[in-house]
Amino acid sequence: MTDAPRHLAEELAALWPPLLVAAERIAAGVAQGAHGRRRTGSGETFWQYRRSQPGDPLAAIDWRRSGRGDQLFLRETEWAAAQTVWLWCDASPSMAWRSTPALPTKRERAEVLILALAALLLRGGERIAPLAGGMAPTGGGGALSRLADMLARERTGPGLPTPPPLPRHATVVLAGDLLAPPEEIAALLGRLSAGGATGHLLQVLDPAEESLPYDGRIRFEGLEGEGEMLAGRAQDLRGAYAERLADHRAALAALARARGWSFATHRTDQPPQPALLGLYTQLAERPR
Amino acid sequence: MSWLPGLAFAAPWALGLLALLPLLWRLLRVTPPAPRRIAFPAIRLLLGLEPGSQTAEATPPWLVALRLGLATMLILAAARPLLDPAPRRAESGALVAVIDDGWAAARDWNGRREHLDRRLAAAEREGRPVLLLTTAPPADGGALPPPSLTSATEARAALAALLPKPWPTDRAAAALALKAGFSGRAAQVVWLSDSQGGGGAELARALQSLGGGLDLVEAASGRILMPPPEDAGTQRLAPTVRRLPLPGGEGVAVIGRDAAGAVLARGEATFEPGQSEIAVPLDLPTELRNRLVRLDIEGEAGAGATVLLDERWRRRPVGLTGGGGEGGVPLLDRLYYVERALAPYAELRRDDLPALVAEDGPPVLVLADLPLVPGPLTDKLAARVNQGVVLIRFAGPLLAAAGTDSLLPVSLRGGGRALGGAMSWTTPMALAPFGESSPFRDLPIPADVEIRSQVLAEPSLDLAGKVWAGLADGTPLVTAERRGKGWVVLIHTSANADWSNLALSGLFVDMLRRLAGLAQSGGGTSAAGPLAPSETLDGFGHLAPAAGAVQPMTTGMDRTEPGPRHPPGYYGPPNGRIAFNLGPRLDPPHAVAPPPGATRSGLSPKHRETDLAPALLVAALILALADAVASLALRGIWRRAALVALALGAATPADAADASVEAALATRLACVRTNEPAVDRDCMAGLKGLSQVIAERSTANLAEPMLVDLDRDPVAVFPLLYWRVTAGQKPPSSFAVERLNAYMAHGGLIVFDTADEGQPGVGPDTAELTRLRMLVEGLTLPPLAPLASDHVLNRAFYLLKESPGRWDGATVWVEQGDGGGGNDGVTPVLLGGNDWVGAWAVDDHRRPLHAVVPGGERQREMAYRFGINLVMVALTGNYKADQVHLPAIMERLGR
Repeated sequence: MTDAPRHLAEELAALWPPLLVAAERIAAGVAQGAHGRRRTGSGETFWQYRRSQPGDPLAAIDWRRSGRGDQLFLRETEWAAAQTVWLWCDASPSMAWRSTPALPTKRERAEVLILALAALLLRGGERIAPLAGGMAPTGGGGALSRLADMLARERTGPGLPTPPPLPRHATVVLAGDLLAPPEEIAALLGRLSAGGATGHLLQVLDPAEESLPYDGRIRFEGLEGEGEMLAGRAQDLRGAYAERLADHRAALAALARARGWSFATHRTDQPPQPALLGLYTQLAERPR
Repeated sequence: MSWLPGLAFAAPWALGLLALLPLLWRLLRVTPPAPRRIAFPAIRLLLGLEPGSQTAEATPPWLVALRLGLATMLILAAARPLLDPAPRRAESGALVAVIDDGWAAARDWNGRREHLDRRLAAAEREGRPVLLLTTAPPADGGALPPPSLTSATEARAALAALLPKPWPTDRAAAALALKAGFSGRAAQVVWLSDSQGGGGAELARALQSLGGGLDLVEAASGRILMPPPEDAGTQRLAPTVRRLPLPGGEGVAVIGRDAAGAVLARGEATFEPGQSEIAVPLDLPTELRNRLVRLDIEGEAGAGATVLLDERWRRRPVGLTGGGGEGGVPLLDRLYYVERALAPYAELRRDDLPALVAEDGPPVLVLADLPLVPGPLTDKLAARVNQGVVLIRFAGPLLAAAGTDSLLPVSLRGGGRALGGAMSWTTPMALAPFGESSPFRDLPIPADVEIRSQVLAEPSLDLAGKVWAGLADGTPLVTAERRGKGWVVLIHTSANADWSNLALSGLFVDMLRRLAGLAQSGGGTSAAGPLAPSETLDGFGHLAPAAGAVQPMTTGMDRTEPGPRHPPGYYGPPNGRIAFNLGPRLDPPHAVAPPPGATRSGLSPKHRETDLAPALLVAALILALADAVASLALRGIWRRAALVALALGAATPADAADASVEAALATRLACVRTNEPAVDRDCMAGLKGLSQVIAERSTANLAEPMLVDLDRDPVAVFPLLYWRVTAGQKPPSSFAVERLNAYMAHGGLIVFDTADEGQPGVGPDTAELTRLRMLVEGLTLPPLAPLASDHVLNRAFYLLKESPGRWDGATVWVEQGDGGGGNDGVTPVLLGGNDWVGAWAVDDHRRPLHAVVPGGERQREMAYRFGINLVMVALTGNYKADQVHLPAIMERLGR
């Protein structure tokens, strides 16, 4: 059961090249990775030759280079570090919803997207960590299945995460329906950005939540105890609702922009590839 | 109140409610339908939105029409519309309803009751009080209680509980009760008469004096079945049927049943017009005739149409045999008169004594002048008498010469006694009156009977008690003695006219009948005294144990009036029941004279009015259901409910078939269900762990193991069956044993694991081992041997020296010999106590569930290796057995 979204995500991720997170400033960490830090350190890429100084171990001397001259040179490599991406997928009850049985639930879709992203990141040598759940950042082969396990186990949760203290300059990806009031989301982003984190918001919505395709006398009920509302003629609400949704999204986009985050929307009746592509391009390291 | 021709309303005021319909229409238009409920995650965005005008979605017009139709139906039903109504009587007053509930009313009882119920229902609608009067004496034996005015509803309830009585009506008493109970004026008087006369005129006068006329309703009256004559000389029973002398002809059939209710005989006859009595003969052989217990008029249930039969109508077989041989001269034949006397009443069988004494011989034997010599035959006869045979012996020259034998009630003096011969002082002797204890006590004694010769009894103290008939001088003529259940009776004179002219008299016939009757009634004296009721007939002719006011019959059958105290039925002790039938005690039927001024009618009503209210209510109910369905559909619940119902319906069938199909879809190991949850769980976890290890280390990819129930699931698809033996396991059914045998014969491998090695202080016989012996009973197990170190099981994948499980050390047993049998030499069973599944068992995170004893992780690894070898052998057979021979092969190659 837990494998289904993982397989879907891996299939999805198979279409893209590995993802290296664009990070101007790598979060503090000692893990080896693929991000060159433009200074000497442990890594695989050649960085510079340097004159040997007393105290350098003999084994560190690059004898081929030294043979060309009188000086002894050491070969230094560029310090390469890994970036950790903190992922969060909304597990609140409102995510486990779909308007028709033909569609996936919002939760399923968000999980697939997050896992696909995680798969791409792992292939790129990055490290991932769930934002909630207390799993330490991990990389490598087992990380994806562990993340999938964790997501599958976490069936209910709050509508917005309460982030643990993150290292500075972390990258965060939040996927969910983001229907909470913009103020709450603003507070969350504020808390995250205070540590220098940047990230991406992905709003996953059911088509019915965009179009409100209901007619007649309907009692709408919230899934998270928000209360209920009786609409005499639901079709009359459609225009006002669309306006509200647009406002909400505009508010979210403005919030994100103000803190240097990005904001994207996704509908469950659309294929997941465009959304993944969006995330990929947002996260991908621009060629230096 | 009648508006349309043929349509009227019993409660027209209810129609006024129709005026409220427009109001209802308005209300329905305004009230919106119940909302659909939809869960919606984005409700936060909706919450503030309240459109200015709350013009709700209106109820659809068709639903309004449906509900208005529903209301109209209810109102119309409340108005009680009647189709084709009976004309109403304008004047108020009571309805006096008289119903004859004697035996004669039973024939058409349901029709009568329905008719009266219709009349009462009409009275109920008109709000008329009702006086219900029955005419037969009530079953409690008291007098008819004076009737009282009740509501029509109560009267209908009383009528529903009314049943016909198995005795005649007493209309004079009914007329008296009516006078006592009712003095006012009646608006309507109905009399459901059973058409039998008897007090009819009196009651009619009383009824007509109430005012309101007299409506005399008549229906088919009961017929009387008279019992057949008891002494009908022929094979046939001929009961007669009596009826009212009606102008029409009528067929009638009489059926005879046995005690179990099976019909044994049926006779038919046809009444000519005006004929009131006809005999219906029933032909049937004696054996069947003796099984008859009752006769009924076919198609008529009633006490009068039933005749109960008792011993009086039975013909018993009587065996006759006589001494000497004077055949050919009829009048001198010893048995000639006996035969003539008994022929009308009994089935006679003339044979020699050995044949008559046989087990199926007749219950009454007549031995005319036949002395019995001691011997086996006499002993056998004595035994038969003890079992209940009545032995009637006549004296004669041979008996007189032979003297006393064992089967005589008295001992005889030697020689006979001749009275009134040439050499005698005495004259032929007449009979003395019968004693009180004699079964012949009420038989008249003809004056001209003379006994000329007799045998004499030795005087003794108990002689007087044995004498049933004597001569005028006190010498016994008939003596009898009880022997066991039977009787021995001696007639001290001859059976023919040699010694007396008794055989020529009518008394002879009666005496023989009484004596033959001893065989059934068990004794001649039981008929005296009061007869306790045993079973009685009810009004419909059903027999039931006597209850209520029934009293013993004291005055004799012919003088007892049938009534609540003496209903027809069986009276007397169980072994001698006497039938008391209603027919003979009734007067021949004669019709009641219709009182002048009465209107006469039949049961079928002139006005068949139909109450439309129930139909309307049903229509309203259907509309209400339709409305409920429509409401649910509007709220979207219907679809959900249908989905749920569909899912439920689809989920149920064929789980077992699914299981076996699934089992066959992939190769997997199986665990035998022990019905001990902990053990089953361990076993499954162990096989799962082993399957995972095998998948990692070899190319065998086993699916999830399954738990199989030997009695239910097929096992043939599993390569290996792990049977964890527990102390409380039930042995498999014979069917399962058969399947296991087939499984082993076709290459399956069963691992029996007693897991008892680790128990502290194990002896040679643990409970599991004992249980194992029980479980494998019936399985065809090969001879077993300890697992050798070079056995293929130790070579199949890993090279092993030991086979530890959770415990280590138990001897593992496999089939004796190596590869000798078929199936690639795979051993069909493996038997051990090391609890391998315990070592293999892991949880979801691959953590072992049990510690292994004694040895740490190496022992667990060895356990896994053993498991892998086991599965490899089960899957691949012995191709690895070559490894066993490797040294020899290498040696050969090196040469």
